Amino acid sequence: MRILVVEDDEILRTLLTQRLNAECYAIDAAKDGLEGWDYASTYEYDLLILDLVLPKLNGIALCQKLRHTGYTVPILMLSSQDTSTAKIMGLNAGADDYMVKPFDEPELISRIRALLRRGSSNPLPIVTCGPLSLNSSTYEVFYGEMALTLTAKEYVLLEMMMRDSQHVFSSDEILESLWSSEEFPVDATVRSHMRRLRKKLTAVGAPPDLIATSHGRGYYLKILDLSTTTIAPARETPDIAPPNLLIEPSKSNELMQQAQYLELLNDTWKKHRSTCLERVELIRSALDRLHSAQLTSPIQAEAYRAAHTLVGTLGTFGLHQAMQLARNLDQELHPDLYLEPNQAQSFRSFLNQLQQQIEQTLYIENLPTMFEDRAKAIEDPTSKPSPPEIKVMLVDDDPFFLETFPHHLKSYGFQVLTLNDPRQFWSVLEGNHPDVVILDIQMQQINGFELCQELRSVDPWQKIPVMFLSADSNAETQHKAFSVGADDYLCKPITAQSLSDRIHNRLQRIQSIVN
Amino acid sequence: MTEKCILIIDDDESIQTVVEFGLKMTAGWEVISASSGNEGISRAQADHPDMILLDVMMPEMDGLATFRALQLNDQTRSIPVILLTAKAQASEKRLFNDTGVSGVIIKPFNALELAEQICNVLNWAESSN
Repeated sequence: MRILVVEDDEILRTLLTQRLNAECYAIDAAKDGLEGWDYASTYEYDLLILDLVLPKLNGIALCQKLRHTGYTVPILMLSSQDTSTAKIMGLNAGADDYMVKPFDEPELISRIRALLRRGSSNPLPIVTCGPLSLNSSTYEVFYGEMALTLTAKEYVLLEMMMRDSQHVFSSDEILESLWSSEEFPVDATVRSHMRRLRKKLTAVGAPPDLIATSHGRGYYLKILDLSTTTIAPARETPDIAPPNLLIEPSKSNELMQQAQYLELLNDTWKKHRSTCLERVELIRSALDRLHSAQLTSPIQAEAYRAAHTLVGTLGTFGLHQAMQLARNLDQELHPDLYLEPNQAQSFRSFLNQLQQQIEQTLYIENLPTMFEDRAKAIEDPTSKPSPPEIKVMLVDDDPFFLETFPHHLKSYGFQVLTLNDPRQFWSVLEGNHPDVVILDIQMQQINGFELCQELRSVDPWQKIPVMFLSADSNAETQHKAFSVGADDYLCKPITAQSLSDRIHNRLQRIQSIVN
Repeated sequence: MTEKCILIIDDDESIQTVVEFGLKMTAGWEVISASSGNEGISRAQADHPDMILLDVMMPEMDGLATFRALQLNDQTRSIPVILLTAKAQASEKRLFNDTGVSGVIIKPFNALELAEQICNVLNWAESSN
């Protein structure tokens, strides 16, 4: 007899497989619902054991899906849910039996035997064919008064033929029924087992052709004495409840998908929560190095990548607050940013909160269906009262810098206009009226000094704060910048926080002068 | 709708799982996974999927480098690629689009709507499943 076990708990799956193997069943094991579906729709089984809560496709959905395709193999559902509702759901989905975990092993085996008997042409535990008798409760086989000692495979082979003694079993059929999909027996294996079984039967007095061969067709049990053979009753119609059609199908599918998605998220979270915490630890290690001024670029890049991955992962699970904390770290740890040791403490604060959020999230309670709207609400400046944004115009011909740095600056409450072609400087300036202009020095068409000089000569731009931001830390260059009218000179790399402080200082000083 | 084969290249196993679930469940598509750029290129060559979902931020070979390698390969050049990224800025999205990918999907995404998003990006007929 061949059984498919679909159970996501690896320990339980292994235990069930071992236990059922010991009971002479051939076992295939699947770790999730979709794999279970693949197995069940590919191979022939005599019984399915399904866990109720499975990743990817839960036991209820799998059961329903199988029954909808006319699948009549008995299904035993296992679940830790002991409520009447859960049991009704399981049975309504098409299960033939429902057992609550943790279960009593002998009871499980008895129920499996009962279900298998119900599915066979002979539902009784003791089957006899003339003088040959087999008791599936005790695994005893007698020929007359003589007991037979059979191997597990010989026993199931004989039981299969006794339970359907009018059937000719082909080699393929036998292989399919008695060996799991992970074993690779061939026709010769069947012949070998048949030969040994015949030998043992003849040793206790059975005729050599008790197991007969129908050439080109297969093997069958020759009925010795019809009057003493248990004739198989008609197969019972399995007590399968019709699928639940109370809910309109599309709505039902949608709800089912959502329920399964939530289950999948929970299952995946259970597996990957520790990975998230490992990423947190990786970031913490980088922050420790930052604190002791030992942070190297590769380690910063690794920490940035960890934070970035956390943004995607946590968001996918609908953990918005945690995602936002990871996003803050992702922005602050960007490899192009120069980090100062005194920043480590504030980053640790984010990290501690993030760790706490992950540790406290044991279950994903809700589907992350509305995350987009919520994320937009978080990012949407109109959704919360905030002071008027300071408009910063950033002129730099490095596209990567313009793609990344504004992102960080925006998190400090600035509105950032970027321009990589200085030839469009005036049109952008006059069209947007920024509060501050930040200029790079070396640009291809017009350099920053020229732009600053022009600014200082044209009303009304003479008083707009101009800051230079350059990788050039040469004192002469800085002197030249101030001589053409710069208000400040900053060196790359710089943190968004430092730049933010300098912008605010500059604007406050101007405001105080005006007042 | 004809069954599609989708290759997801992402070093985050939980994202692979969620994508696989979402696409199988809502569209019935087959999903194959790779955890790195190099593995993804090998799988793309071997399995020739109908499209590739490619994470941008991966160690060693990142998504853009993987995309470039796919473009240089005759066997994989024609496979549409959609980038997956947690970067949400519109300017960054434009930058990615400029590379020649078929589209960008921002993480986090709803796995139950992912097939629909892919269909929209690639102008595939809507999944009937």
